[in-house]
Amino acid sequence: MNRLAKIGVLAALALILWGYIVGPLVGTFQRSITGATPLADYIRFFDFRSGVQGEAMLGSLMISVLSVITSGVIGVFLAVILQRWDFPLRRVCQVLVLVPIALPPLMGVAAFVKLYGLGGTVPQLVGNFFGTDPNSYAIEGLAGVLLVHTLTMYPYFYLTVSAALEQSDDSLEEAAYSLGATTFQTWNRVILPMLTPAIVSGALLTFMSSMASYTAPLLFNVDYVMTRQIMSADANAELAYSSVVSVMLAVVSVSFLILLRRWEGRSAYRSQSKGGGRRRQRVTNPATKALILAISLVSTIFLILPIAMIFVLAFSVDGSWRSAALPSEYTTRNIIKLFTDSANWAPIQNSIVMSAIAVCGAVLLGVSCAYVLGRMSFRGKTAFDIAIMLPWALPGTVVAFNLIKTFNVPSAFSFGQVLVGTYAIVPLAYFVRFSPLVFRSTAASLSQLDPTIEEAARSLGSSWSYAFRKITLPLLYPGIAAGALLAFVNGIGEFVATILLHVHPKYRPLSIAIFDEFYRGNFGTAAAWGVVQVVLVLLVVILTQRVQSQGTIMKL
Amino acid sequence: MTVLTLEKLTKVFPRAGRVVDSIDLRIESGEFFTLLGPSGCGKSTILRMVAGFEEPTDGRILFDRRDVTTEPPNRRSIGFVFQNYALFPHLSVAENVVFGLRVKKVPRAEAEKRVAEALNDVQLAGLGPERVDRLSGGQQQRVALARALVIRPSLLLLDEPLSNLDAKLREDTRAMLRALRSSNSPTTVYVTHDQAEAMGMSDRVAVLNQGKIHQVATPEEIYEHPATRFVADFIGRNNVIDATVSAVSEKTVTVRFRDGIEVTMDPANRARGVLLTPGARVGVCVRAESMRLAAGNGTFSGIVTDVEYAGPLRTCRVQTSVGDLQVEVPSSAGRLVKGQSVGLSVIESALHLVEPAATT
Repeated sequence: MNRLAKIGVLAALALILWGYIVGPLVGTFQRSITGATPLADYIRFFDFRSGVQGEAMLGSLMISVLSVITSGVIGVFLAVILQRWDFPLRRVCQVLVLVPIALPPLMGVAAFVKLYGLGGTVPQLVGNFFGTDPNSYAIEGLAGVLLVHTLTMYPYFYLTVSAALEQSDDSLEEAAYSLGATTFQTWNRVILPMLTPAIVSGALLTFMSSMASYTAPLLFNVDYVMTRQIMSADANAELAYSSVVSVMLAVVSVSFLILLRRWEGRSAYRSQSKGGGRRRQRVTNPATKALILAISLVSTIFLILPIAMIFVLAFSVDGSWRSAALPSEYTTRNIIKLFTDSANWAPIQNSIVMSAIAVCGAVLLGVSCAYVLGRMSFRGKTAFDIAIMLPWALPGTVVAFNLIKTFNVPSAFSFGQVLVGTYAIVPLAYFVRFSPLVFRSTAASLSQLDPTIEEAARSLGSSWSYAFRKITLPLLYPGIAAGALLAFVNGIGEFVATILLHVHPKYRPLSIAIFDEFYRGNFGTAAAWGVVQVVLVLLVVILTQRVQSQGTIMKL
Repeated sequence: MTVLTLEKLTKVFPRAGRVVDSIDLRIESGEFFTLLGPSGCGKSTILRMVAGFEEPTDGRILFDRRDVTTEPPNRRSIGFVFQNYALFPHLSVAENVVFGLRVKKVPRAEAEKRVAEALNDVQLAGLGPERVDRLSGGQQQRVALARALVIRPSLLLLDEPLSNLDAKLREDTRAMLRALRSSNSPTTVYVTHDQAEAMGMSDRVAVLNQGKIHQVATPEEIYEHPATRFVADFIGRNNVIDATVSAVSEKTVTVRFRDGIEVTMDPANRARGVLLTPGARVGVCVRAESMRLAAGNGTFSGIVTDVEYAGPLRTCRVQTSVGDLQVEVPSSAGRLVKGQSVGLSVIESALHLVEPAATT
């Protein structure tokens, strides 16, 4: 690329990043100091005497810390068991343990509520069994939020720790044993320190997700969290105060993003020895075997239940769940109506089309940014990097809030249109939120791609654009496709940002439709849409694996 | 005819600093020219600037008489072979080789013929449909070579092409590269840190250190008449001993070592810039193979501190009054053991003078 084209591309990307990502956030900051005095609303935010508004920060932090602890314990425990020991059904367990990833954000939490909440299946069964009040067994409030967080966020720990265990090699432990270390010393001095980077990044991810969590506090009626305070302050037309909460949430998220990037850059222990798979310890003792089997059986059921609940509800007749443990009447009508009734089909189509539009934009922006950051040197690279990753760190609530307050007036970036209330605002929000996913995935592929391969193409006489089309793009394809599919799936499940955008009912995507029907008590209709989300997620997971296995073939 | 001219070529990197420092070089048509130097001497950076992958900070690059300093690599008509092969992993062997011909829109039939020929030249005939990751390292490097040669570049640039291969394969590939040299083969610039490669294949060699050229000459000239102390040290096994010129005549020069020992040698065997006035400090190069075990007292005498057996010869370290000397002794000369006292006689015709060590 010649210098002029390079400057042009950089300028265009900088403009997009400013217009849709950084600018709206700066706007929110400006609005946060428009109170009686510039700091008036910040003082209120940090003042416990102002009720839940003053407690929100502490509430969010407390929930996040607790979520990190509970998810961490479960995630690390499962990773160690499944990576280090061999026992019957281990492979099945390895698949099932990732089921929470397939849980759609809103419908998943709703399933938890119907399972464990007031009037839910489990409390009713337990209550009936002991002949006491079922509601005394119901999980509510903080406990409910923690339950959802734990069961949806432990994969952060499980995945990072499993990967670390997979990469570590036996010779290290053997070296420790050969030097006379006991099993305890080996774990304490060799294995746990090796896992620390994985555990820390798992913890940072969990913390960020908990801070951003909106659906679980909403459905379990916990209002002393920052995400919900943004919404309620916004509903009360307290613009400055809701901006303050957004800014504070952004500050926390961005500092964690920076922490995470620092941490990722600094500490990854790689095994230096080559080849040789990891050996697993085979469990032979029958008692231990039985214990491990029992644990895995129970946890499997526990993990499957929410998904199973969505399916059960999808086949239940709307309004047929009154006071029993489960709905009383079942039908296939909910599923059939998805494809026959245009009112039921519309949200599916909306979600797919909106996500697809967003993904197209995200691929353009994400791939360009990854290429520019990976292959060019220019001033302000770090700022560029932070800008593109920013929406990944920001809670969906904050992203949506920033966009609404920016595009409720005509703006150059919306070509002079008011976007709030239109169809366009939803794909725009998805585009902003999910561009970082494509960026990250592409950047990872690009960092694996030796720059000399592109130079080879240039030396053979091909122009920059020919080399990019024939060599770079095909080699990046697995990374781009994986990122795009991930972005698409996130779009299909998106709820947190969408709910703030106040779309016209005609344009409502799946999660909003589910939300509406769920609150009308039409669990069957809502869950049928939930099933669609689950199926789409699974389809995409399979597709992604296809794409990635293609990718590994291509790696030299 | 001069094919490639470098004029005051300079490259400054923000962190590494002045990696290439005002290099002047002319490479003639059909030549096999090698840039030799330790890692970090700037040789690869020079090659990458010639290819157009790096932009010079200063200076000019001319192909024939055409200034290509700011031309992109695809307009330079070069072939480049990378240390790590840089094959296109998603293409087959034949697709890799044909890539440059497709870019140039060579008709299909001719392209196929040329690909077959190129694969034949590098002894990979029949492997065209193979996936590149199925090939061994040596085969991959030969695909890279075929890919660069098939476009008939006017300049072939090789960046340490053998350094990822094991010793045996390196020798085979070297033989193949020599075999490929013919009257119509392209002018070649070869970058390596391995002096055996440089000496064994090149018409001329440039020895570089810290971004500067120390000597440009034929391999023989570089080995026998190193232009600087660095070249003397870097090439072969050389003992460079500080000494003082004690007497000069028309045909001979006598130098005195630190301990008073004197040797007499031919004054023509000296690097340019070495002053031959009595009292001048010089560095005397005594090659490890230009010393013999003396029956009695030789020029030097000392104690063997280390012996390394290497088949036809033994390499010893001998502690003498002028310092530690490396000596190569034919194995046929008999056993040597650590601690043994030996006398060493110097073959005076093989001595060479370079500048003295920089005084610190």
